[in-house]
Amino acid sequence: MKLSEFIRPATLAEARKALRALGPKGMPLAGGTALHFMQGKTPVTAVDVTRLGLSYIRQKGNYFVIGAATPLSDIQRYRGPRWAMHEICRRISTHQIRNVSTIGGNIARVFPWADLPVVLLAMDARLVIYSGKEKEMTADEYFSAQPARLFRGGDLLTAVKIPVLKAHHGFGSVKVTRNAAAFSLATVAALLELKDGVIKAARVAAGSAIPFPQRLKPVEAALVGKEAVTAVFKEAAAAAGAAAKWVGGEGMSADYIRQLAEVSILDALERAAEFARGRAE
Amino acid sequence: MTTTTHTVTFTINGEKKTFATRPDEKLLTLLRREGYRGTKYGCGQGTCGACTVLLDGRATYACLLYAMQAEGRKVRTIESVGTFDKPGEFQKELVAAGAVQCGYCIPGMVMSATALMETEEVFEDEIVKEYMDGNLCRCTGYEKIWVALRKTLDKQASAKPAAKKTAKGAKK
Amino acid sequence: MKRHEKARNFKQVNTSVTKIDALQLALGKDSYVADFVPNDALIIKMLWSPHAHARIKKLDVSKAEKMPGVKAVLWYGNVPRIAHCTAGQGFPEPSPYDTFMFDKKVRFVGDRVAAVAAETEEQALAALEVIKVEYELLKPVFTLDEAMAPGAPVIHDEAEAHVPIPIPYEPKKNLVAHVACEAGSFEAGLKQADFKFDHTYETPYAQHCPIEPYTSLAQIAPSGRIHITTSTQVPFHCRRIVAKTLDVPVQKIRVVKPRIGGGFGCKQEILLDDVTAMFALRTGRACLWQFNREETFRTGRTRHPFRIRLQAGVKKDGTITAINMEAINNTGAYGGHGLTVVSCAGSKVLPLYHCENIKFDGKSYYTNLPVAGAYRGFGATQAFFAMESLMDQMAEAIGMDPMKFRQINHIREGEGSPIFAALGEGREGTPMTVGSNALAECIVQGAEAIKWQDRKDWRGKTGRYRRGMGMACLMQGSSIPDIDMGAASIKINDDGSFNLLVGATDLGTGSDTVLAQIAAEELETATDKMIVYSSDTDLTPFDVGAYASSTTYLSGEAVRKAAADAKRQILHTGAEMLGLPVEQVRCEDSAVISADDKHRVTYGDIAKYSLYQKNQYQIIGTASHITKKSPPPFAAHFAEIEVDTWTGFIKVLNYVSTIDCGTAVNPQLAEGQTEGGTLNGISYALTEEYLFDRDGKMQNASFADYHIYSMRDRPPLNIILVPSYEDTGPFGAKSVSEVSINGAAPVFANALYNATGARVREFPLTPERVLKAIKAAEKK
Repeated sequence: MKLSEFIRPATLAEARKALRALGPKGMPLAGGTALHFMQGKTPVTAVDVTRLGLSYIRQKGNYFVIGAATPLSDIQRYRGPRWAMHEICRRISTHQIRNVSTIGGNIARVFPWADLPVVLLAMDARLVIYSGKEKEMTADEYFSAQPARLFRGGDLLTAVKIPVLKAHHGFGSVKVTRNAAAFSLATVAALLELKDGVIKAARVAAGSAIPFPQRLKPVEAALVGKEAVTAVFKEAAAAAGAAAKWVGGEGMSADYIRQLAEVSILDALERAAEFARGRAE
Repeated sequence: MTTTTHTVTFTINGEKKTFATRPDEKLLTLLRREGYRGTKYGCGQGTCGACTVLLDGRATYACLLYAMQAEGRKVRTIESVGTFDKPGEFQKELVAAGAVQCGYCIPGMVMSATALMETEEVFEDEIVKEYMDGNLCRCTGYEKIWVALRKTLDKQASAKPAAKKTAKGAKK
Repeated sequence: MKRHEKARNFKQVNTSVTKIDALQLALGKDSYVADFVPNDALIIKMLWSPHAHARIKKLDVSKAEKMPGVKAVLWYGNVPRIAHCTAGQGFPEPSPYDTFMFDKKVRFVGDRVAAVAAETEEQALAALEVIKVEYELLKPVFTLDEAMAPGAPVIHDEAEAHVPIPIPYEPKKNLVAHVACEAGSFEAGLKQADFKFDHTYETPYAQHCPIEPYTSLAQIAPSGRIHITTSTQVPFHCRRIVAKTLDVPVQKIRVVKPRIGGGFGCKQEILLDDVTAMFALRTGRACLWQFNREETFRTGRTRHPFRIRLQAGVKKDGTITAINMEAINNTGAYGGHGLTVVSCAGSKVLPLYHCENIKFDGKSYYTNLPVAGAYRGFGATQAFFAMESLMDQMAEAIGMDPMKFRQINHIREGEGSPIFAALGEGREGTPMTVGSNALAECIVQGAEAIKWQDRKDWRGKTGRYRRGMGMACLMQGSSIPDIDMGAASIKINDDGSFNLLVGATDLGTGSDTVLAQIAAEELETATDKMIVYSSDTDLTPFDVGAYASSTTYLSGEAVRKAAADAKRQILHTGAEMLGLPVEQVRCEDSAVISADDKHRVTYGDIAKYSLYQKNQYQIIGTASHITKKSPPPFAAHFAEIEVDTWTGFIKVLNYVSTIDCGTAVNPQLAEGQTEGGTLNGISYALTEEYLFDRDGKMQNASFADYHIYSMRDRPPLNIILVPSYEDTGPFGAKSVSEVSINGAAPVFANALYNATGARVREFPLTPERVLKAIKAAEKK
């Protein structure tokens, strides 16, 4: 992506105003690492959004609120009660990228290999968008399609809200890569709500091995009301094949990737169950 | 030669300087042009780490960062770490361990290790590896780099009084 | 006295002295080509072919020439058309002259079309966009089968394509090279066998991935000569090939190699320098060309993919009665190393095990894919995958432990192999018996380190995660006998320091340091008294360059001889100063000392005397060296892996890499070579791969998508140097740099079998490939 101009607004309102005026000729820029993957030849004006006070992590009521311009490495280093976000953040790209790449930048435009949308879908996160005033939406709504539609008129993603997990919640994510810093072959995440060993609710999402991150509703349906045991997880994971359109990658077939995703779902569910057991005890 | 249209001001190795630049110039290009040539070009894709510099104390790929993003920040390059007379501790250990083969990755490795040493309090293997996973080396198999780093860290850990706050690096 | 005990009294050699450029590089001082570029240098950019096989019908650069900042454009219409070979090899090369600076035909995605030199990179790139090209698309050839098929499209149909020495070359059939030999009778040997085997193995493309990309800078000196500063392993070949390609005298060119950021074989090739030099000539300006990473992947050199059919017979007692290797490599669009790499598949592999009936047939074919070249391991890497995989299968057939099977069969000290004499590089080989050989000890120590005695048959293993152990034995060579030459000179300075001038090329291995140690040992002085200057065609003696595992063994012996020459002069002058006959003095500790230890003059005194005081002359030693042998370094590799039988992922739990490199001149650097080679072999076996689209374009030309290992990926590595003493090498040394890359692929294939009963004959061991093999094994 070519930059023709670079501006540094001091407030959120100024940033929105600038982006609104620029229209398609403007682009919010945080870490800037994703621009490397964007092929556009028409130069744009970069609007630096790292100086708007949007880099923070705080616990507020039932949510952890993460400012949109918070670098992944801060999320990786943060610790809070039943905090689970660091696990995925430590697996994304390299140290130098995690230092500048922000949570907002990671999800403002969804790349096929992205891990965070999958985790946020499973976590039932909420997204905060500024359009003169702040409004919230669910991850399901936000990730129902490429989020660009939400930022017309200069609107900006300002925060991500992660529910604080309860004692009976279990969370697990699995990111499968060929080596540590590689893009995911498959990335899955699962949130289980347990009561007396029985699954009351389940959210399971996948990405990277499918065209766009999504929840796997048939997998979830196969879990609810059943015991949190391996046999149930296996059966639920087997429902993944039909739940999404799996695509090949890195020279490997779609059929293999589907099998890999099924095993990954099983592993994520086991981790989630273990998480719940660990926290409950 | 570059047609420059803008300026950017940042602290480079402790010295505040203003440079002519353009909005789409990468920090790496600017630094090398201005004589900070210890920062290397290896991939231009934000993967190999030969261009690693510190931005406000954090290791960053100068090949991905736009120079304009450095406005008002503190940039440190390999030139700030050591000299022939007074090499940095890790540099000394790298030399002693025989960890420098072609040496092209080494300045970047040193910068990542510098961030590690200045940020973390406890140097567990897993954390160390996370700090170093963005610096590729094709010559050494990392063995002697690891040995040198482990030695440097162990020395520092035993020398340092324990009080410093662990989350220091997490703050802007 | 055991051979390796000869090394006991060394003072400089066999010592881990500090690598002489280590601190300079760790400090980030100006060292590499790109650090020496004047700020006003022109920037070169190339328009690359988007097609795998096409004829250029029309090429119009007129608009580009008028673009802002553009100083020159090069294309086939305005440069000499001289057939040459880009590979830096002995001269005349055993390779086809099939390359032109620019041609009317493009032969792979990434072939040259036209180049621009402009004031800035942006201007150069903008100019490329307005070059108009019309292509006539030709049917591409992507596989060996397509290349070999009767009536296949001819990739090199130009009249000029030829080989400069009489060796088989049939471009009309896409055949780049053919070499064959037989010792004994394979057919007769096979008849004696109790068990017979016939399997085919495939090995993949791979890239060297030096962290410094290819970089070349050309300038016109005030004298009018062309100065090329370049990231090369072969400065003298570079000078010769650029002179030929530009049609200028060798005398007009100086090539300097500063520090270089890794090579591994890929910089044994003249891929940039003809263009940078031509632009410098045309513009009179400094001209820089640096490949970006994508270009390095797409258009830089690669490892030859091979198809190897291996047949063998074995008796119940473990005697290997017959081996037949049919190796075919895909050399890509140009044939630079086609013959030599396929020859080495035989010559560096087949002598390892006793066998009286060996047959070898090697061929190399063109395709419209990226060009293969020299890469650490050089054919042996590919062939050892086949050989060592089959060794395990043979052992299992006769019910013998695969380690024991290797132990009873491997070549020993004092033994020869008919292959040494039969297979050379472009000619017959050199008969040779193996001198130093500590392979037996390598196996013993490696087995102990991995705990081979705990290895269990796969049949008892169950569960999702299964562990297995595998091993492989390996060898390589040290230099190319009767072909390679290295030379050195050494002169004394006032203070008793020395200038050591060598043509040899340190590509990051530390050879400057190793050569300084050898000189210091011979001269009875300290390594830090050596000021090493290497690889400058104007100032240093000739050397073929850094390849074929030759620098320590070949250039090292040239250095030792040059130092001996200087030492003779030092003794002469020292004796003169002491008023003693030369027989009554000796060199020790940087001084000449009388036999009764009572009188001494230091090297500094001798230098000052010889330069300023009496009978003045320059103490300067000089020597050249060629080799008559190519003594193999030996290695035994072992690994334990864990296989996820549900996904096919392999985790390396432990890797043991032993090596016999003779005397390790610098043990720390020898370990470094072994560690680096071993890890490169590991990722080559597991994760590195060229993925092509249907048009022959590489799809994963970045470090994000082409997976080499980081510190976080590196498995536990255990390196063991096992000493031996090679009588023909400098202070007992032989080579170290290449052999270690050969092990991981067969070791993992064997370990996978030991874990699961699944046999793979193709790598990288992608999870899908592994899973498929496991499922196939379960069905049996």
